[in-house]
Amino acid sequence: MFKSYRKLLSTVTVVALASVSAMAAGDASRTYANGKKVIDGGMTYPVKKGLTASYHVNTQKAYKDVKFGRAATPNEIKAWDIDVMYDGTGLPEGEGSVEMGDEIYEAKCASCHFDFGAGGAGYPALQQGNAYEMQKTLKLQRLHPDDDGPKRNFGSYWPYASTLFWYIKTGMPHPAPMSLSNDETYALVAYILSINEIKIDGEELDDDFVLNKKNFLKIVMPNKDGFIPKIEGKDGLENVRKFYDNPKNFGGNKERCMKDCFDGEPKVARIQGVGISDYNPPISEKKEKPAKKASSDSNEAKATYEASCAVCHGTDAMGAPVVGDKQAWAAVLKKGIDKVYMNGIKGINGMPPKGGTSLDDDKFKAVVDYMVKTSK
Amino acid sequence: MNKSMNVSENVETTITQSSRRDFFRKTAAYSVSALAAASVMAPVKIKAEDDPAIIEEQPWATAWGAPVTENLYGLPSPYESNVTRRVTELLSSGNMKASIAVTPIQDIEGIIVPNGLFFNRCHGGTPEIDPNKHRLMIHGLVEKPLVLTMDELKKYPSVSRIHFIECPANGGPEWRNPQFPSIQFAKGFMSCAEWTGVYLKDILKDLGLKPEAKWMLAEGGDSSHMGRTVPIDKVLDDAMIVWGQNGEALRPEQGYPIRLLLPGWEGNLMVKWLARLEFSSEPYYAKEETAKYTALTNHDGKAIQHFYANEVNSVITSPCPEKPWTDLKKGDVIEIQGLAWSGMGTIEGVDISFDGGKNWVEASLKGLVLPHAWTRFSYIYKYEGKPLFLSSRARDDAGYVQPSVKQERDAVGVEGVYHRNGIHTWEVTEKGEVHNVQILS
Repeated sequence: MFKSYRKLLSTVTVVALASVSAMAAGDASRTYANGKKVIDGGMTYPVKKGLTASYHVNTQKAYKDVKFGRAATPNEIKAWDIDVMYDGTGLPEGEGSVEMGDEIYEAKCASCHFDFGAGGAGYPALQQGNAYEMQKTLKLQRLHPDDDGPKRNFGSYWPYASTLFWYIKTGMPHPAPMSLSNDETYALVAYILSINEIKIDGEELDDDFVLNKKNFLKIVMPNKDGFIPKIEGKDGLENVRKFYDNPKNFGGNKERCMKDCFDGEPKVARIQGVGISDYNPPISEKKEKPAKKASSDSNEAKATYEASCAVCHGTDAMGAPVVGDKQAWAAVLKKGIDKVYMNGIKGINGMPPKGGTSLDDDKFKAVVDYMVKTSK
Repeated sequence: MNKSMNVSENVETTITQSSRRDFFRKTAAYSVSALAAASVMAPVKIKAEDDPAIIEEQPWATAWGAPVTENLYGLPSPYESNVTRRVTELLSSGNMKASIAVTPIQDIEGIIVPNGLFFNRCHGGTPEIDPNKHRLMIHGLVEKPLVLTMDELKKYPSVSRIHFIECPANGGPEWRNPQFPSIQFAKGFMSCAEWTGVYLKDILKDLGLKPEAKWMLAEGGDSSHMGRTVPIDKVLDDAMIVWGQNGEALRPEQGYPIRLLLPGWEGNLMVKWLARLEFSSEPYYAKEETAKYTALTNHDGKAIQHFYANEVNSVITSPCPEKPWTDLKKGDVIEIQGLAWSGMGTIEGVDISFDGGKNWVEASLKGLVLPHAWTRFSYIYKYEGKPLFLSSRARDDAGYVQPSVKQERDAVGVEGVYHRNGIHTWEVTEKGEVHNVQILS
């Protein structure tokens, strides 16, 4: 049965076979047991005669009686259920102004996202200009090398601001997530809305604007209707199902041409120059033992510094003592090295505990030693 | 005895060989090094065509190897040190904490990727989670919200399944032009493994899922707290919570102690370090399903949200830029082979073209052919030293066939970032070098 099914599938009338009903063990189906089409437009492999595809399955009835674990307590659920949904479900009490957000941004965000959320060095931009204007760029396609492309950022692209609140609260600042209060999070969302020139009730947000749980749902993002299929509301799942039932919606192809599939010689696009080839480690097909690396604690500390500390301690943008600045470090060391270690381990000012690393105390101290040594 | 003589320099010389028997007989009388220098075998005349790898005794054949106490958790041969995940700054935040390290698919044998080479994408670094302090919570629209320790979870009856996991951005940097002179970077944002865990539907049977539950939020317990929304259809079909990977515990990079596994779907949906599942009547709009992992199309600037399955795809792994045909002679008969996969089902077949997709012949599948799994294909070819445009085109049991680059661009544009599955082509030059190209015909 399986074989003949495959044979049939390789003919052109694949779609018409959707309702092949008499299936033997191991067959594939386009529909679930409830008769609905598979939601992603593909196949499902129901258990038949103890098999799903080529896998044997335990079909003992007692299988369903296996149960372990215990009830989650209300406090446990409260502690973990911190998502924020598009309809405002999960927004906490609290408030914050654009001005307060600006200050927090300077202290905790600008070191990666740069001034005014401009982004750079691998960290995303939080705005690229007026969000309503940038939203219009989403129709652009870069079909030629000099074409302008779509600008995708929070203001121009994201459908709901709830996502920003949720993400900042649980994922930012990147080295120290879950460290911002609800008020601070409201303030940062307000600030990021303002630098995107998002209007609420037709008004741009000035420094005094205060965002809270109540007025949050008044935020209407410019690209709210920019996504397909429509997933919210009671028809969400069915909309998705219909969307993937039509290959045209997502670029699916069912044509299998075997001969003379295009006219003339192939039109070839090649890599420009050397392309992207700065790989670490470089590509090698040589079978040889690696040269022994001279590894020492100091090298490791240096590498850690460069990976995790230099982003703040490499420049004075963050107010952190700059490595190499003898005066700054002499001042720091007046407290005594033990105090310096402790401040670093616990975090101080804008610096998260251990600089956001997961080093043990000794390794962390080795990094501090490296920074001190380099600044003498 | 002249062990260091370079035979390939066309020097005919005489050496003497020691035999194993001699070695054992005489260890009492000689040290190992002394023995090597003082063998007593009959002399052999060495000629230029003789391979010193055979004629000369190798050090590993004349001395002890490592005791079994060495590397109690085994490691690959140091001679395989070139086979490794790789990174590039283009695909990373500045500090490599939100980044990707890609799999050397040019060096993978069969359809199982060893755990140390499985591609690694993370959004806040790889956490080191204490499994004794990790919990899975299931709540929301269920009658009985549940907490499981890892020991409790593993008491559920387990199933093992071979599935690929692919980042939906695999090939994504090449929407507008080929970029990478490398298969590892052009197609290595994916791997395949045997996963062991429990079907989520088997845990849910006792929890009283409410009829209005349509979506499930899956959230990680790492610093990124990454969440994704999964439709209930997949949850009740083949979604798994897995703790085993190729016979051992999940690697930290793959979500130790547990991750969600959604066969065939975007790797990003298969939340690692899984801590929380919440059922709801509305979708969640998490950051990685709005800001990212949405595919902007040429349909009036609309973006596809909730793009689930990675579509049918394939790539020739030999030859490839890393494994060219520069050492072949005209007339050599050689296997062309590669990988095919489909998130929508099972691979039905693969075609190969030598002229960039104008004409096609059917290749052979080889080995296991399983749903949502890597499938190997093979074609035996007589090499003639002529330039080629070598392409592969897979099709699956849902009826989907890989589109040409032109068909795909016409259908959805070039700004999607994700879910690119257009036909991949290698240019093979007269010298046997292999270049990454795209055919726009």
